[in-house]
Amino acid sequence: MKFSLARQALILAALALVPGMGEAVYFRHNISWRSAVPPSELVTVAQARAWGGNVIWVDARPDEEFARDHVSGAVSLNEDQWNELLPQFLAVWSPGKKVVVYCSAESCDLAREVAERLRKEAQIPDVLVLEGGWEAWLKKNR
Amino acid sequence: MAKEEQMKQTPNVQRPTLNAEVAEDGTTSHIKHRRSNILWRIIDFIVAAIFIFAALMKIFDLDHVIADLRHFHLGDLLIDLQGIRLADPAGFAHDINNYRILPWTLSVALAFYLPWLEMFCGLALIARFLYRGALSILTVLILVFMLATVAAKIRGLDITCGCFGHASQHWNFSAHLGLDLVLFGLVIFLLRGCRRDFTLSER
Repeated sequence: MKFSLARQALILAALALVPGMGEAVYFRHNISWRSAVPPSELVTVAQARAWGGNVIWVDARPDEEFARDHVSGAVSLNEDQWNELLPQFLAVWSPGKKVVVYCSAESCDLAREVAERLRKEAQIPDVLVLEGGWEAWLKKNR
Repeated sequence: MAKEEQMKQTPNVQRPTLNAEVAEDGTTSHIKHRRSNILWRIIDFIVAAIFIFAALMKIFDLDHVIADLRHFHLGDLLIDLQGIRLADPAGFAHDINNYRILPWTLSVALAFYLPWLEMFCGLALIARFLYRGALSILTVLILVFMLATVAAKIRGLDITCGCFGHASQHWNFSAHLGLDLVLFGLVIFLLRGCRRDFTLSER
């Protein structure tokens, strides 16, 4: 059986789609297609606000954006100045408090990275990422 | 017209063929051809094995099996082989996403799709079925990997390639690019050989 080069490549590409799609169906509950953060680690603005004073807001955006505006009472903690800013965060954190990290929008990855470092390096439990980030917060607070 | 008439009368056996030309210089060229065929097959298998291994490392969670093999824990190997399960595609999706070239949705789609594409291309090289298609897909894949790696380095991104799942977690830029270059060289070598074979068979 002889096929042209393009047809051969197309057949292989199509063949690989079959198990790839099967795997996607199998893992449909384990991975989110909308955000890099798993659904279990996401929190909505409404949910986070319902926790009231039991929440520490962490702003993972760069310093200039934090200086321009931020969630009232939020602590700035970004990867660029991790070592300098972490003590400020630890000073306000206490066991039992929930930590909600946000960055500029749904598509940004900074909040996920900061949340992961807080869990792994600082061993902080209950760290969540705000769904929709700062944009979502602004929409709900206009 | 006279020439055409003469051609029609000439029996096919008398026409010079490729085989007759090869036979003229005796067995040497035949042995050379066989040797180069063996060399191509060896390279086929090496390239196929690398891509199949890369695919398996991303599709299945083989960390324990690799650790057992590395430390010659053959007793544990049997137990770990029985407990093999599918790897979490989120890890590879994050590796793709770390290049900051594609949106998250596309990273997830590629995390499901790329390992299987590598696997099928590797198998096609071994089976020599859809061979040229597999080689061209692999060439494009390696080129894209190389460009993405260089772009990430230029942009100062600290990334793990994820090419071999967790096994490549601590690879540095030069190791990553070095392997890509070696693979690219091998695939181009195979492509050139296969093009020569193809043009010979088309004559």
